[in-house]
Amino acid sequence: MADELELLRRADPVPGNDPRFGEGPLGHEAEKRLNHLMAGMDEVGERRPGRTRTRLVWALAAGVAVALTVAALLVADPGTAPAVAAPRPLVVRADSTPVPLDALVERAERDAAGGSAGLRKGTHVQSWSVGMSEDEPPITLPVERVVRWNADDSHMELVVATDPRHPGRRVLSDADDGPRLVDDGHVISERTFPPSWSDAPPQSPPPHDATRLRAYLREAQHLDGPPGTRELLDATAVLLDTWTLGARENAALARLLADAKGLRPVGQVTDRLGRLGQAYVYAGAGYRRMLIMDPATGAVLGLEDTAAVDEPEYGVEAGDVMDYSAWIR
Amino acid sequence: MSNDEIFAAAYREHYWAVSRYVARRLDGRTSEVEEVVAEVFTVAWRRRSDLPASPLPWLYGVARNCLSNAVRGYGRRRRLMDRLGNDETAHGRQIVDSPDSERPAEWVHDALARLSPADQEVLRLAAWEELGVDEIAVTLGCGSRAAAMRLHRARRRLRAEIDRMRIVVTPHTGATETETETDLDTGTPKEQFHG
Repeated sequence: MADELELLRRADPVPGNDPRFGEGPLGHEAEKRLNHLMAGMDEVGERRPGRTRTRLVWALAAGVAVALTVAALLVADPGTAPAVAAPRPLVVRADSTPVPLDALVERAERDAAGGSAGLRKGTHVQSWSVGMSEDEPPITLPVERVVRWNADDSHMELVVATDPRHPGRRVLSDADDGPRLVDDGHVISERTFPPSWSDAPPQSPPPHDATRLRAYLREAQHLDGPPGTRELLDATAVLLDTWTLGARENAALARLLADAKGLRPVGQVTDRLGRLGQAYVYAGAGYRRMLIMDPATGAVLGLEDTAAVDEPEYGVEAGDVMDYSAWIR
Repeated sequence: MSNDEIFAAAYREHYWAVSRYVARRLDGRTSEVEEVVAEVFTVAWRRRSDLPASPLPWLYGVARNCLSNAVRGYGRRRRLMDRLGNDETAHGRQIVDSPDSERPAEWVHDALARLSPADQEVLRLAAWEELGVDEIAVTLGCGSRAAAMRLHRARRRLRAEIDRMRIVVTPHTGATETETETDLDTGTPKEQFHG
């Protein structure tokens, strides 16, 4: 009987003799890149010293998006066309007082002691993600995603194209042949998944004390060390894309965020769903992340990623929002 | 040899192995492999003074980080598109699954997909990159004992998933469902398959 590793070995999707990636001489492009590196023309490292991991991510995303149809969309009737440019970040109310995260932790812990909202597997999230290209302007794709788990460990996922800021207006959606306009609420997918089980984060239930939650998030992101602030924010998004947290988990997460370095309270915002939140900003190299939290319960409401430097080759300007998620209970 | 020369030799020797590593984890998005591999070697170039004598596991570690960023960066849009199944290769469905086929069966991928990302990665490194425990430790940036433990646990969980995915055959005569075993020697389900 073959063991599990042998079975997996036979299921190698790209075996060593694969004609696309089999051993042999380097192709022209690979040779050229090696020559560039050897000549000291390290594009990322030398020409763009300010680049960050986040920017690399965006650069990778750039290769996969945007067809020529975008040009047509940009010149469409302004009364019906969606907003295709990268939207601007949330504005902090000038007359608001920043609330330290520690204060929110106290509120979250009070909320948890009150025994209110419970943990639920599944999520409800509205997101806006930017797609980029070297030849076309960036576009923003608004999507609402709902995941519900059933008692038998099966789950369903519903994904629709919608922008709640513009009810009824047609929105951009991605398709095989590139982005196109669809009706508000257009169902991108509706799928039911068979029962599945995992005892590993983020599929296993998140703990509700900060120390264990930190370890859980580290495992969820398979990090080699304790998560820094950037990793913690990444892990927060992964967690909330999988779970709807209860009050106790909210409090634990708020504690972790309060202990993270570099999250600066900036004041009150109204998020894209019209909810009041307290905003906390983390400034990375080349990008900025704004965490939006419920001032009453300490729950994370949203996360906004903004470019902090111009990237003219992708039509991105400093201040453009590259990704925005708003989680809904 | 200088660091630059050592790097160039490693680049030439391992370019295709790194490409396969990346291709296996981009779920069939072949067009993006070259771009990610370029990124891997750009990062490796900057860190060429760290290049160990046996560089391949180390290069896999660099690739793992690049992919981790890349996958996050595709954003929800990409993840959702993948989930939609628009790209059949994203789910390994290009693989023919029949008793006569020598190609791998889709259900093995399904079993793997039910595990955590960490379990999946350590299993792929062992099975697809054919790394030993010490090399896995280099790629994952952990100690050998931890790597061995991770691999052991992951194998156990994969075995459990495979066992869970045993075939349920409904006899033509009607009546009760009977459980029969998958043919583990060929990796091919004998009958209808229930996930």
